[in-house]
Amino acid sequence: MAEIDAAGHTTREINAAIRQCIADSCKEITVRNPGARHNLAVAILDDAQIRLAGSAGYYCGGLIDGASIEIEGSAGWGVAESMLSGTVRVHGSAGSGAAAAIRGGTVVIHGDAAARLGVSMKGGRVIVAGNCGYMAGFMAQKGTLVVCGDVGEAFADSMYATVCYVGGKIANLGTDAVIAPMDPGEAERLDETLSAYLPAPLRDAKPAAADFKKVVAGRKLWNFDKREWRIWQEAL
Amino acid sequence: MAGLQNSGIFAPRVIEEIQAKAESGLYSIRGFGTLRERRWATFDDLTFLPCSLTRIPLEGYREKCSTKTVLGTRFAKKPIELDIPVMITGMSWGALSLNAKVALAKGAAAAGSSNTTGDGGMLQAERENSRTLIYEVLPSRYGINIHHMRMADAIELTIGQGAKPGTGGLLLGSKISDRIAEQRDLPIGVDQRSPARHPDFLGPDDMIIKVEELREATDWQVPIFIKLGASRVYDDVKLAAKAGADVIVVDGMEGGTGASPAIFQEHTGLPTLAAVCEARCALQDIGLYGEVQLIIAGGIRDGVDAAKAIALGADACYIGTASLIALNCNKPIYEDDYRAIGAAPHACHHCHTGRCPVGITTQDPELMKRLDIEQGAERVRNLLQVMTLEIQMLARSCGKSDVHHLEPEDMAALTLEASAICGIPLVGTRKVFGR
Repeated sequence: MAEIDAAGHTTREINAAIRQCIADSCKEITVRNPGARHNLAVAILDDAQIRLAGSAGYYCGGLIDGASIEIEGSAGWGVAESMLSGTVRVHGSAGSGAAAAIRGGTVVIHGDAAARLGVSMKGGRVIVAGNCGYMAGFMAQKGTLVVCGDVGEAFADSMYATVCYVGGKIANLGTDAVIAPMDPGEAERLDETLSAYLPAPLRDAKPAAADFKKVVAGRKLWNFDKREWRIWQEAL
Repeated sequence: MAGLQNSGIFAPRVIEEIQAKAESGLYSIRGFGTLRERRWATFDDLTFLPCSLTRIPLEGYREKCSTKTVLGTRFAKKPIELDIPVMITGMSWGALSLNAKVALAKGAAAAGSSNTTGDGGMLQAERENSRTLIYEVLPSRYGINIHHMRMADAIELTIGQGAKPGTGGLLLGSKISDRIAEQRDLPIGVDQRSPARHPDFLGPDDMIIKVEELREATDWQVPIFIKLGASRVYDDVKLAAKAGADVIVVDGMEGGTGASPAIFQEHTGLPTLAAVCEARCALQDIGLYGEVQLIIAGGIRDGVDAAKAIALGADACYIGTASLIALNCNKPIYEDDYRAIGAAPHACHHCHTGRCPVGITTQDPELMKRLDIEQGAERVRNLLQVMTLEIQMLARSCGKSDVHHLEPEDMAALTLEASAICGIPLVGTRKVFGR
C-alpha cells in the first residue's frame, strides 16, 4: 500500500509517482488531494489498484489496460476513454464523453453522467446508477451500456452493435435506435451484472432488471439505401 | 451536325451527373481525390531562380546537400530523425490492403523515411517493417490500442483530412472483411461512417488537455503531431501550436482519400499552395516558426512540388496518392478488371469499391496477391529516393547545402495569383502583387 500526496505536484509528477510505485511492485496506491487535475492515472498497463481520494479532471484512467481505478469524487470529461481492460469506478458524477471509445473493461458511475456517455464505445461495459445526458451511446459499436435512471435526448443514435438498457425514462430515441424485447434469461443476466457492480444500497434503489428497456440499433443506417432517404436526411 | 453546340453550364458531364442522381437517388461517393482541372494557383505557378552571378550554385553531382529532417524538437524527448524530407501519409488498413500497408512501410524504411498508420489502427506487420512509424489518433478511434501507441515513434492527432475537412471517414461494406471488422470492432459488411468529431474533446481548449494525455501516455518521449485538413489554416495552425503540438501537418484540398462524397473532394478546403503559405505565416506571427515543425500534404507529385513546399516553409512533405501510384495504382495492367468496375487505367478512382485491379485498395485476397510486397516496396523506395534527388538538384542549383535552406526568395511567381498568395514577385517584375 502506497500513498501519494498530489498537493503541489503536477500531473506529470503524480503520474510518474504512480508508475514508480507499480515498478516497485506496490500495486495498491492511494492518491490524496488529486485536486481534479487532468490526465491522472492515464495509460496504466498493470493490474494495480489506484484510489483517488477526491475528484479527477479530464481523461482520468484513459488508455488503461488492466488497472482498477476508483475515483472517490467526480470525474471530468472522457473518464476511462479508450481503455482496453480494467475497471474505473466514479463515486460521484462524470462529465461528458465518459467511457468514450472504450474497447473493454468496465466503467461504473454511481452518480450521473453528462452528454455523450459511451460515445463510440467499441466493447466493454458501462453502468450508470443515476441519469445521463443527451446522445448517450452515439455511434457506439459494441459492448453494453446500462443507465439505471433517465436518459437524455437522442439516446443510442446511429449505433452499430452496442446493447443498451435503461431503467428510467427515455427523453427520446436517436436516429435508428429501437426498443427491443429482452431475450429469455437476459433480465437475469442484467440483474447479475448490476448486483455485481453496484453497491447494494444503490442497486436496491433501482428498478428490477425486467423493467429495464432494451435499446439496440434498427440497422437502417448500417448500409446506404436510397429507400431510407428520410432517415439519412435526418441522421445526425 | 454543324452548328450544334454543347452548353458550357450544362456540359455533357453535368448532364450525366444529374441524370445519374435522378436515377439512383444517391450522391456520388468515390476515392482518389479531386478530379477538377486545376484553375487555382498551384506549385506549378512557381518557378525556381537558380544561381547565376548573384548567387553561387553547388556542384550538382559532387557537393554535399543534406536532406536530414528532424521533427518534434519542441517538447518531445526523442524527436524523429529522417534521412529525407518526404514521408508516407496515413492511409488505413481497410482502405488499403495488408500488402499495400507493408509495402509502404518497407519502402519508406529503405529510403530512411516514415509511414503512418491511418484510420484503422496499427498492423503488427506494419510496425515490424517500419523504420519510423507514426501512430494516428483519429475521431473514430478505430483499433486504438495503448500498446501500439507506445510502440510508435510519433503520435498524430488528426482533426481533419485535406480531401474532406470537416467530415469523417468512409469505408464501404465491401471492404469490411472479417479481419477489418475485428480490428475496428464493427459488424461485418456495414457501410462504416467514421465520426467527424473526436468523442472526448470538441474545441482547441479541450485539445490542450488531450495533447497532455497523449504525452503522459507516451511518457513525453515521442513527438505529438496535429493534423489539419486545410480550411481556416491561419487560425487553425495557431490553435494547434497553442495546444502544444510539436509538429503541425496541413493537408491541402488536393489530398486523396479512400472514399468520400465526391463534392467534398471537389469543393471544400484550401489548395496546398495556399495552405503552406498560411501555415508559415501563422507560425511566424506567433514566433514559433522553426520551433514547431510544419509538414505539408495534398497532391504532392514529385520532388519539384516538395522542393517548392519546403521553400515556402515546410519542413517535410507527406505523399499518399503518389506512393500508391508507385505501387501500380492506375497502371495499364489487368485492364479488363478496370473495365469491370467502370474505370480505366489513368482514370480509376474506384478505391471505394474494394475491387482495386492492382491489389492496393482491396481486401479481396486474390486481388491483393497482385501487389507483391517486395516489388512494391522497391518501387516506393525508388520514388522516395528520386524525389529526394530532385529536391537536392534544385537546392544545389540555388546554392543550398541543405534542402531545408530553400526559401521563398529562391522562386518567382508565374501568375498574379501565385504572387499574391506566396508573397513572391511576379516574373518580369520586381513586384509582389496584392501587397
